Amino acid sequence: MSEPYHDYFGDFGGRYVAEVLRTPLDLLEAEFAAVLEDDGFRADFDRIAAQFIGRPTPLLFAENTTRALGGAQVYVKLEGLAHTGAHKINNAVGQVLLAKRMGKRRIIAETGAGQHGVATAAVCAKLGMPCRVYMGEVDIRRQKPNVFWMQMYGAEVVSVTSGSRTLKDAVNEALRDWAASFADTHYVIGSALGPSPYPDMVREFQSVVGRETERQIADAGIDVAALVACVGGGSNAIGFFAPWLERESPRLVGVEAGGTSDEVGAHAARMGGLGVPGIVQGYKSLFLLDDDGQVQPTHSISAGLDYPGIGPQLAALGQSGRVEFRRARDQEALAAVKHFASREGVVFALESAHGGAAALDIARELPSDKAVVVNMSGRGDKDLFIMAGELDRASWKEFLLSEGGRL
Amino acid sequence: MSETQRPGVMAHMIPWYPDAERSFEVAKALLDAGVDFLEVQFPYSDPTADGPAIQKACSDALEGGFKVEAGFAFLDRVRAYRDVPIFLMSYAGIVFRKGVTEFVQRAADHGVSALIVPDLPPGSDEGLYEAATTRGLHAVPVLVVTARKSRIDAVAALKPAYLYAALRAGITGERTAIGSENLAFLDALSPIGAHIMAGFGVQSSEQIEALRGHVDSVVVGSAFVRAVDGCGSGSVYQAVYDLAADLTGHAH
Repeated sequence: MSEPYHDYFGDFGGRYVAEVLRTPLDLLEAEFAAVLEDDGFRADFDRIAAQFIGRPTPLLFAENTTRALGGAQVYVKLEGLAHTGAHKINNAVGQVLLAKRMGKRRIIAETGAGQHGVATAAVCAKLGMPCRVYMGEVDIRRQKPNVFWMQMYGAEVVSVTSGSRTLKDAVNEALRDWAASFADTHYVIGSALGPSPYPDMVREFQSVVGRETERQIADAGIDVAALVACVGGGSNAIGFFAPWLERESPRLVGVEAGGTSDEVGAHAARMGGLGVPGIVQGYKSLFLLDDDGQVQPTHSISAGLDYPGIGPQLAALGQSGRVEFRRARDQEALAAVKHFASREGVVFALESAHGGAAALDIARELPSDKAVVVNMSGRGDKDLFIMAGELDRASWKEFLLSEGGRL
Repeated sequence: MSETQRPGVMAHMIPWYPDAERSFEVAKALLDAGVDFLEVQFPYSDPTADGPAIQKACSDALEGGFKVEAGFAFLDRVRAYRDVPIFLMSYAGIVFRKGVTEFVQRAADHGVSALIVPDLPPGSDEGLYEAATTRGLHAVPVLVVTARKSRIDAVAALKPAYLYAALRAGITGERTAIGSENLAFLDALSPIGAHIMAGFGVQSSEQIEALRGHVDSVVVGSAFVRAVDGCGSGSVYQAVYDLAADLTGHAH
């Protein structure tokens, strides 16, 4: 992006918050602007990126897939090889470093699938900050292994029992904490959404993925026709797309959670007509709302994609046509996990597998001298229980019962 | 404001909490106990500025079938019972979805005196303040005890008729100690010339006494929700009336 701070993106974005959050957001905006100019901050980030996150993450040529499809070459940005298993850690490192620079002594975060919580907890362990993670009760049940890891890193995981007991409610609870604690606490939002400056800040910290991919594409000498990423709130997509947002090519394709159908409560797709303009959790964007503006229930097989709103910049890019949006259903995502596991030896997270499914479709439609790059924003280890329950139910159940007996 | 006058009381309530019919009993109890203003909160799915008591009440109200149209009809019923100024509180999620101008017009049509929408603050209000002024309503800005001088000045420049002063940072519900810090904040607001309503954690007549001379009114919210919550199968009317009468001095 030419300018790192926008506040508004077309019709969307802004800072619609209760008065109490005005001061901390003003201060955060000023600090964000300052670190962008600060070579010392960038050096700290780069050092941690190399030593701790494991950057650069590889760009894999999915050779067997490409051969099997007979279309465009398929490449996979293996962002899931980042420490703690997903892109989330890039933003966590950036924001916790920023919090330390501001003199904050405590970190809070929300988490849905748990990946942002695990990343933030790990970074806080490394950088010596106490950490509290808010997580919906439903997500805690779905993503128990991540709860365990957050606690191993020393974070306190707080179960959120209000509302739908998922990610949006964890955001509400973190905002409530911050409204009282901002004097000594920084709130690390995990996606490119919320009141400004968060959408800009999260994109900037995640844009390391896109910049790295751009270099790797040049090194590989490939002609990329499309970049593909899954979109929940949209932090992996906006970071991955960042270098190309103001260019006309390649195609940028965001893939939302199609769930099981287009019925209310059966998906989490905000683009393509299902979402409506709204102001929720401090920003204006497209959301899944009823006629009264109440936030509607969502569904996705992946806990990281079932948020009812989309980051404001992606909503604007969808409206302008720069980013195309598609949906992948639960079963298509599962099929993509199986595909890449068996053919490439790579297990996508269920979230990222939505992008994987769309990338396979797009590659089929394109000639062999073109390439499609999909961001595997996370690896699938965390989804063991969900995937095994879906793909190998009987023997997995038998195993769990016998383990339960043994314990 | 008069040094000797006891602050007025704005009582908060949520239609459809604990259910449609009993929420009208709550309104009657508040009005019978002599509250000066009624703050009616249209429940929203994601009330980020509210503490656990009001959050849960909003969830229950929505599960009980609250709809915005029924909320406006509820206001008519309340005003037919007794005509006190009604302050309609809700979140941007509802107001923006309905259309800010349309929502304000509906409020005006139903006799609402003022609107409180915490996440449409001055400067990010989507036309709320102008729409309210045009229709003879007051949009009520909020200032928090932690506000910086530049923000206080910006809000003062709007010359608001009413001003909601939040006595501490954080969310609604938890009891607030009244002390030199929040009293100094309130006194600093007095040159604005607005009717100052102080809220966030006000739940007892002792606190109201401590605020005497520093505010025009107090706002009591979560305490009434807890009174409703705590009455079990007993009379909602009596539980709410007893608390309200204690706060307004009606009982004495």
